[in-house]
Amino acid sequence: METAAPRQHLLGDFSGNQDLTVMTRNVFKEYRMGEETIHALKDVSVTIATGEYVSIMGPSGSGKTTLFNVVGGLLKPTSGAVFIDEVDVAQLDANELAWLRCRKIGYIFQSYNIIKVMSALENVTLPMLFAGVPPDEALDRGVDILRRVGLGDRMLHTPKELSGGQQQRVAIARAFANRPAIILADEPTANLDLKTGEEIIHLMKEMNREQGVTVICSTHDHKMLDISDRIIWMEDGAVKRIARRDEVEIQIDVLQEH
Amino acid sequence: MSAQWKIGQLKLSLALVVRMAFSSLKIRLSRTTLTVLTIATSTAFLIYVLTLEKSGDKAETENWYLMMGLCLLVAAAGVLNTMLMSVTQRYREIGTMKCLGALDSFVLYSVLFESALVGLAGSVLGVVAGLLVAIALGFAEFGGQVFARMSFDAITWKLLGTFLVGMLLTTLGAAVPAWIAARMPPMEAMRGEK
Repeated sequence: METAAPRQHLLGDFSGNQDLTVMTRNVFKEYRMGEETIHALKDVSVTIATGEYVSIMGPSGSGKTTLFNVVGGLLKPTSGAVFIDEVDVAQLDANELAWLRCRKIGYIFQSYNIIKVMSALENVTLPMLFAGVPPDEALDRGVDILRRVGLGDRMLHTPKELSGGQQQRVAIARAFANRPAIILADEPTANLDLKTGEEIIHLMKEMNREQGVTVICSTHDHKMLDISDRIIWMEDGAVKRIARRDEVEIQIDVLQEH
Repeated sequence: MSAQWKIGQLKLSLALVVRMAFSSLKIRLSRTTLTVLTIATSTAFLIYVLTLEKSGDKAETENWYLMMGLCLLVAAAGVLNTMLMSVTQRYREIGTMKCLGALDSFVLYSVLFESALVGLAGSVLGVVAGLLVAIALGFAEFGGQVFARMSFDAITWKLLGTFLVGMLLTTLGAAVPAWIAARMPPMEAMRGEK
């Protein structure tokens, strides 16, 4: 695989000898809204290594969610390519995309998106059933994962009976259910209070470490920076800056001197 | 750097389709009951008119047919409306399921099977109710003779036909909502609003 990548995007890039999980190459995404063309992504090229915890920061409308959808195989870019490991997402048909979403990607949403009419356990087993795991095994694994996220005593509760933080734990358990390669979390703490948000961040970090899963997380939450390996800043549909955590700490110090 | 895995294919689990349809009906039980009754009423009416058909004069019978047609149309519109509501209310849920790996065909068959169950319950109920009403009215008119005057052969066909019409109506009414649900982009799950 060729290694020549656009210049500034490689600032603060991974060390080089790690496996790649996600790579986007010159991705553009345009929407038409009436007469206007909206450039949601402009030449986004990022590489993310296996097991990395990457935070994407940027104001609303900066293209974070669009980038997520493109990486998650939910949205086709106008031009450019997206690779998950070595698989070119654009080449996949509908069934293969469903397989990718089911087996390789775990989604965590801002508003949890726990299926209201199902218990915590049913929510966690659903992606396994989609993947063709036998129901008994899915149940066993579901119980294990829910215990792991600290909901061992609430498995049969429906979302109505769970707090926001607990629902997000269910969502995390569900996202990890099929042992994915990538977790895509779209502002997972935005609807939570500070303390609960912090617990969720730490849970995600623990799961990231334990399972070696790549986590890509969009956030406004500066506490996220502390546990991220790298941070990608987006602005106006483009990558503005990529930095490793240690580089960011220097930056914050400089700012604080003023 | 090499991928340790190959892209696979997902298989549609019919057991899961059945489970999903049943649970969806159970959760919206009051609405389900209402739709079942809509179907039941129109099929009962159909049975009643069919068994009546030979007794009235020609002009009156034609009138009945017109009303019956309208009645069936209303029932189909009822199913369309109910299933459309059921689907649009679940936009985020369906989007989420697609993010978790639900196939388009899974969503399509779940919605179709859900309404097929409604159609089945409604048609059976309607056929039985319509037949009972027709027999009761016949009994009032002819007394004990009613059974002698009934042709079981003809009635069996009418029952079967009515039942099929009931099923057909529900399937037709559900086709468009099912297609809309199946085509829904998974991104819908990402929308912020509740």
